[in-house]
Amino acid sequence: MCASHSTVRGILGELMAEADRVTVTDMEAGLEHLSRGTVKHVDILLIVVEPYYRSLETAFRTHNLARELGIERDFVVANKVRTPRDEEAIREFCQRNHLNIIAAIPYDERFTEAERLEKAPLDYDASDKGVAEILRLAQALQTHTPPQV
Amino acid sequence: MKIAVSGKGGSGKTTIAGTLARAFGRMGQRVLAIDADPNPNLATLLGMSQEEAASIVPLPRDLLREETDASGSRILKLAMNPDAIAEAYGVKVPDNVTLLVGGKVDHAGSG
Repeated sequence: MCASHSTVRGILGELMAEADRVTVTDMEAGLEHLSRGTVKHVDILLIVVEPYYRSLETAFRTHNLARELGIERDFVVANKVRTPRDEEAIREFCQRNHLNIIAAIPYDERFTEAERLEKAPLDYDASDKGVAEILRLAQALQTHTPPQV
Repeated sequence: MKIAVSGKGGSGKTTIAGTLARAFGRMGQRVLAIDADPNPNLATLLGMSQEEAASIVPLPRDLLREETDASGSRILKLAMNPDAIAEAYGVKVPDNVTLLVGGKVDHAGSG
């Protein structure tokens, strides 16, 4: 089965490389499957982290791997941030380890509600605080001049 | 612009990838959303119901062909151009986004 999925990885890697439009790829969970073939034409790798140590540690390893694979830019997206202390801990870790953080998305139970109702977060409540922060992230990525947050 | 979203399972990476794809579409871009996760879930975050998502046909496995590049090395290239692949296998979701799904993997087999 994994042989089959490595074929899929190859196809998706080439699609990213050759497609003449904006591509957003939801990668396999974890970092074991990041390879030169699958990410060779990625402009920006977003590393989604949650505010706990093992998640941050994985982000750090992903960042180092991204460097080795020649990805030009990678940014941390802090997700499920519940308290100012959460955000502070992530920022502190990133600063200490030379990771760039591009967005901090608050924990928002409307994401869960949207999922339960089988709606996209944007269709469920585009005004909610979690979605608003992701929209801001899209703007930042589009301008290619990500603000320091 | 080619963006890849990584993270551990449960981190919310799919929520972020799906919402970003729709956001770029709203900003006037043509967007290809690619679900590379063998446990695919991007469709529902883009606005499809579970039932619609379950009927998506994953990409066939024979879309790569071997070519020889200028230096004589063998390389793999797509057998169809990406627009044709998007047209043939893509699912249109709101905001000018087309979704392509790599496929599901049965983890019951050996690694």
